[in-house]
Amino acid sequence: MASTVIGAGITIDGDLTTDDDVVIQGTVRGKLTAKDGVVVEQGGVVEADIAGGAMSIAGAVTGNVSSTDRVDLQSGAKVVGNVRATRITIADGAQFKGNVDMDV
Amino acid sequence: MATVTVIGQGSKVVGRVTGEGDLEINGHVEGDVEVDGDVTVGESGLVGSNVRARRLVVRGAVKGDLVGIDAVVLEAGARVVGDLRAPRVAIAAGALVRGHVATEAGARSSASRAAPRAAAKVEPRRVEAPRAPAARETTRDVNKAARGAPPATVARQAPAPVKAPPPPRKAPAPVVPVLKKGAKGALKKRAGG
Repeated sequence: MASTVIGAGITIDGDLTTDDDVVIQGTVRGKLTAKDGVVVEQGGVVEADIAGGAMSIAGAVTGNVSSTDRVDLQSGAKVVGNVRATRITIADGAQFKGNVDMDV
Repeated sequence: MATVTVIGQGSKVVGRVTGEGDLEINGHVEGDVEVDGDVTVGESGLVGSNVRARRLVVRGAVKGDLVGIDAVVLEAGARVVGDLRAPRVAIAAGALVRGHVATEAGARSSASRAAPRAAAKVEPRRVEAPRAPAARETTRDVNKAARGAPPATVARQAPAPVKAPPPPRKAPAPVVPVLKKGAKGALKKRAGG
């Protein structure tokens, strides 16, 4: 259950910190810190560094992504920035520009 | 496209929240909220600044002005410190409000309220009344020079005691100065008693 949803049409300028899951369909600029899962849906725009648990990205992300779990770049995702995670998948059709850092 | 946006109980936003669509705040928002849609501040919601929305329903805590394009509704359990403004304002029993309430649409409220408050400000503090009625001119001059800051006040204040002292206890001149009834009291008062 996602208890925080940033709907389409909503823009947050600033820091978003959350203890629970977050779904982004709108726009977040600033900083995004989650303890759990982060889902950036298609149409979602994040211009911020993201830190959190498992992430699924289908929207546009500009910024560094850091996860304690896994990062999945879905088809249609557009990511510019470095990704740091223990596991990472990049689906066919995802656009990605940046470094990948997997803890070994 | 109006999707519901939810700021969950464990979430905190520091910054502005803008856009269109309905918004439900169950977490903590520290920053202006300006949304073209309905905003609900839930029981666990905490908003630390102004909120502007089409229709505003509050069950939680808000510290800031609430402006509704259509309505502002405070339900039981709401705690609001700030002004309410909307064409329709509802405050249910059990809601706490501290602030100005205006059932109207239109311009910002803070500007119109600032003026009378500023006017009501206390006048500048009185310069302390001279202790000795027979105060020597020299000391006063020194004081005046030392204080320097509000020369106008000092100048206005200084002459009064010079005239005031005579009555006290020097042997009065044979002819008692013609003082109207109550004049002494008035003089004393003016001297700052």
